[in-house]
Amino acid sequence: MPAGELSQVRKSILPQHGDTWQSIAARMLAGVAEAEAVSKLQSWNLHVFMRASGAAGSVRGNNPILPSDVIFIEPPLAKS
Amino acid sequence: MYDLVIRNGRVVDGSGMPAYNADIALSGNRIAKIGRISEKGRKEIDAEGKVVSPGFIDPHTHFDAQLLWDGYAKPALSHGVTTIVPGNCSLSLAPLRAEYRTKLVGMFNQIEEMPLKAFKEGVVWDWETFSEYITRIRKGLAINVAPLVGHSVIRLWVMGDAAMERTATAEEITAMQGVLRECLDAGAIGLSTSYVDMDEKLQPVPSRYADAGEVEALASVLGEYGRILQIVPEFYDADLTIARLDQLAEISLKYAIPTTFSPLFVNADNVDAIDRVMRRVDEQFARGARVWPQVQTRPIDISFCFAVPSLLFIRLPGWYRIMRFGTPDQIVAAFKDPATREKLVAESAVYNALWPNLRLRLVQTQTNQKYVGMTVGEIAAARGTTPIDVMIDLSIEEHLDAHFLAADMGHNSDERVGALLKHPRVHIGASDGGAHILSFSTYGDTGFLFAHYVRELNAMSIESAVKKITSETAAIWGIPDRGLLQQGYIADIVIFDPQTINRGEEKYVQDVPGDGSRYVRDAMGVDTVIVSGGVAWTAVAGYNAETRGEVLPGQTQDARQMVPA
Repeated sequence: MPAGELSQVRKSILPQHGDTWQSIAARMLAGVAEAEAVSKLQSWNLHVFMRASGAAGSVRGNNPILPSDVIFIEPPLAKS
Repeated sequence: MYDLVIRNGRVVDGSGMPAYNADIALSGNRIAKIGRISEKGRKEIDAEGKVVSPGFIDPHTHFDAQLLWDGYAKPALSHGVTTIVPGNCSLSLAPLRAEYRTKLVGMFNQIEEMPLKAFKEGVVWDWETFSEYITRIRKGLAINVAPLVGHSVIRLWVMGDAAMERTATAEEITAMQGVLRECLDAGAIGLSTSYVDMDEKLQPVPSRYADAGEVEALASVLGEYGRILQIVPEFYDADLTIARLDQLAEISLKYAIPTTFSPLFVNADNVDAIDRVMRRVDEQFARGARVWPQVQTRPIDISFCFAVPSLLFIRLPGWYRIMRFGTPDQIVAAFKDPATREKLVAESAVYNALWPNLRLRLVQTQTNQKYVGMTVGEIAAARGTTPIDVMIDLSIEEHLDAHFLAADMGHNSDERVGALLKHPRVHIGASDGGAHILSFSTYGDTGFLFAHYVRELNAMSIESAVKKITSETAAIWGIPDRGLLQQGYIADIVIFDPQTINRGEEKYVQDVPGDGSRYVRDAMGVDTVIVSGGVAWTAVAGYNAETRGEVLPGQTQDARQMVPA
């Protein structure tokens, strides 16, 4: 089965180096106002948004996104 | 003359083909002949009325530490498990520089609930490299070990503290590839990584700071060797699990390696989720990818006392924090402080439907013995208080040595779990043997498979069940010459009574270094366990002092030096 024939699942990305909510919003939700796009991303990714930020003094600072995270770029699909 | 002849057994050979009656002769560590055997053996076993099958392979364990003081991985071996895979979930005990021992012990304590004291009193730290660790555990090894190397520890080795803070540079990734090659050369069967686990400070483990490129770079090394990648996905969410298995599928296809993710649970609130995940698994297999979900056989039972952190309280941050970071005296003091207690009780209200159903399973004082075996709800009624107050009060009275059981917490739908277990693209595993030793007993999952899903529910044939935990596992993991009863194969063999094989009652025993305790289950219905042609355990005589366990695939000589970081 070619990859193109896989059934539709919720769209997601893996972060690029240094990604933040804002950079992902600019890349994946272009055309949506930044604040709204960030808000959408956060609501679709509670597993990241609700995470405690990095330890005090960490390189990660207050960016909760880890390099290994799955980031959804759309809401959950309606049940078929 | 053969070394050992097993006569009159019902051979379930691991292939899934129908059982048949035959004798089996062993010479050295291999199966010499199967059929009617007239020659004598130096030792003979009468298996009349018993099943003779390949030894069971447990692909998801954390026996890494226990193997340092117990080469039998007790009681797993007595349940018929002849090969274990430790090093799952990004954690192995090597390679590990001396300065990170405390860090890794903390991670094992947090993630796998291994007592700190067991490491302190049961482990002599005389290795750093993977090869040195393998050399160390080979001494007195009675069970076969196919060890994974953990991604988190490879990162620590190469990056030091930065492993817990950032992505790796190109040079660091190259160094990690070199370290992985050395581990594979030294006998690692593959690499494990984790996307969910937290360390002892409740911060993400090092593997979670790796980007997709780093994982791919390591997978490319696995591709050089044809070895497996194991991951722990975000199993609590179906969309996340599907995204991960898609990531695994691309890796599997690109580097032609098998991958496996664990665990996959059936719960009342995610029945649809399991169907979606399995549909995706089927699609990815149809593309030629290998993405094996691991499913455990047993329902989820969780025991706990408030002296140590429990998985049951992980979503109650106030509770979890004091259990994680408090000393016993501090925890008791918190319970006695009215303001703190009020906050804890309020936070626990989300589980108010659960607390009355818990059962008190162990206390130390004579006064409270009368409550043992009763539900918390029954004790609350008897004491005229609430269930959560009963748990707190008993814990104060017992100085935290009151133990409770939350039984049947999930993965308990016979129909759904049975269907999953026999699915051709489900890998039976995820036992977690050697870990969570104060939360549940992982031993006897194989006995439970035969007792419940084969004998009681008739959900699968005994031939299919044996195949699932022997030849299929060996094939998925690339373990050669094991998992089948065929001439020329290594003689890892279990003789058991199909009418009585089961897991015994869960019991609390004190056999962990540092006066530690754990929950275990005795084997039922298992007669004899043979490892590499030698009798390793019998129901009559127990564990044999002669040990023949091997490290698998274990192809190279012990190397002395890792790639310098």
